Amino acid sequence: MAGQPENPKGAETGGFSLLPRSLGVKVGILIGLSIIVAAGFIVYVLYARGTFEQTQRLYLFTDNAEGITVGSDLSFAGFPIGRVRRITLRPDGKVRISVRVAVDDAKWLRETSVFVLDVPLVGAAKLRAFSSNLQDPPLPDRAERPVLRGDTAQEIPKMVASVRSILESLDEMTQSGSSLQQSLNNARAVTERMAGKQGLIGAALGSEDNAHKVLAAIDRANALLGRLDGVALKMDSVLAKTDQRVLSQGGLVDETQKAVAQANAILGDVRASLKRVDGILADAQAVAGNAKAATADLGALRAEVEASLRKVSALVDELNRKWPFSRDTQIKLP
Amino acid sequence: MAYGGEFILRPRSWRRLGRFAGYAVAAALSPSTYTPAAREMAVRQIYFMAWRVLAGYLAFTAVLSVVLIEVVSRAAHTYGVSQYALELVLRVLVLEVIPLMTALFVALRSGSEVGAEVALMRVSGEIEDSEQIGASRLYSELVPRVAAAALSVFALNTLACALASALTYTVFFGFTDAGFEDFTRVVANVYDEMVLVGFLLKCLLFGLAVALIPIATGLEAERGQPRSVPFAVLAGLVKLFFVVGIVAVLSLVVKYV
Repeated sequence: MAGQPENPKGAETGGFSLLPRSLGVKVGILIGLSIIVAAGFIVYVLYARGTFEQTQRLYLFTDNAEGITVGSDLSFAGFPIGRVRRITLRPDGKVRISVRVAVDDAKWLRETSVFVLDVPLVGAAKLRAFSSNLQDPPLPDRAERPVLRGDTAQEIPKMVASVRSILESLDEMTQSGSSLQQSLNNARAVTERMAGKQGLIGAALGSEDNAHKVLAAIDRANALLGRLDGVALKMDSVLAKTDQRVLSQGGLVDETQKAVAQANAILGDVRASLKRVDGILADAQAVAGNAKAATADLGALRAEVEASLRKVSALVDELNRKWPFSRDTQIKLP
Repeated sequence: MAYGGEFILRPRSWRRLGRFAGYAVAAALSPSTYTPAAREMAVRQIYFMAWRVLAGYLAFTAVLSVVLIEVVSRAAHTYGVSQYALELVLRVLVLEVIPLMTALFVALRSGSEVGAEVALMRVSGEIEDSEQIGASRLYSELVPRVAAAALSVFALNTLACALASALTYTVFFGFTDAGFEDFTRVVANVYDEMVLVGFLLKCLLFGLAVALIPIATGLEAERGQPRSVPFAVLAGLVKLFFVVGIVAVLSLVVKYV
């Protein structure tokens, strides 16, 4: 090389004299700069990895940590707030994911936060945190939480199975002779009838004859209703007349009132007669021993009683004749 | 080339390389090695290996980086996975391509030259056979070259990686600090502890390979036979490529398999 020491033995013989001062400075700068850059790079990497950052721990448990690696991010609202530090399979078959969250970012995690492991079809799995209410108490250090797994790839086989069964059902439904097909045929027949001359009634009754009968029945019912109207009018007039006969001056009710007054008077007579009978019977008891003497009186009394009874009988007959509720249904109105 | 292949397949050559590596690393790490003369030698070597090529190399790195970033970014956008483009660029460009390119660049530009120089010294008898090599010669002539080559690889690699990272940020986010948080998050994802340690280890191994193999193979030239020089140099380069390739593949295997 051109720059090779002009005299290879210079180092032994000449010592420092052959080495330009600037050359040593340049080399010193180069080496010093390299060391500074290397040290700075290492410090930067340590800073990036959060070595100088205060962190708190979070343990997440899941059945399957596939896709998660050490160094994966735990993100909140799309921003990485923590990093997976260790993944261990515990004796009970559950996976424990140790996450370090910077203390500054721990405010986004609350007691009620939910953690989801999202495995997209393309790309690495993602750990996500969702905090619905940021007013809840903050998540403590070393908290343990389950992870919900949202695995698109796992869902696909289930979805395909469901879709297949749906397609099979559809296939059955659309086959000729299937119940859906028959229903559609019936529906078509019904709508055809509805579009026909008899319209909806024809569709409902199945044939034109039946429809004709129904229409005729309706016509007759209409005529009947017209006649019923006349009957109702007649009934009105009859009722008016009846009202007049029964309730007017000198009507049935008036006469009955009179008859009742008469009956009251007659009953008063009967009561007086009976009182006398009582007295006579008392006398009769008193004079039982002298019946013979009293026979003449008894004969007269009997005549009187018979006369009263006849009057009662006549009154009852009169009443029966005037009052319409007797057994004799033939009432002769006055 | 056949001769180079022989060198690769010869176990004795690898044993010699291992022994020399052990001596040289132990000597390079002991402060007593760095006498004023040795320091001067090392500084001079670094100056020629790294400083003189720094501007050109960084320019080349910048062009290559921008092209690669654009290609990855566009392709990712086309396939609808642009959210992974930044991570992909950081993983491929900064972690894999730049260190490999730096190692090969230094090997091509300086390794062959140093190897030839050592081979010539061996031919002219300045350096005795390494089996009986005197400690003073090894220390004063070879160890400063080894240390200088390793430091050069480290310096070029660091600055190129930093430049590529800065270009990545600029291409993705422009001249604004708006994307700093996103960028930091992706950096945190890409460079976990294992990757960081692996990256440093890989850079160290590249540096050692570039520094040691051409010199160790140069020592295999035979005294008084100038014709053996080209073969020794070629063998050194082939071995170097072989080792660099193995280191790169191994690091990928460990990281991703």
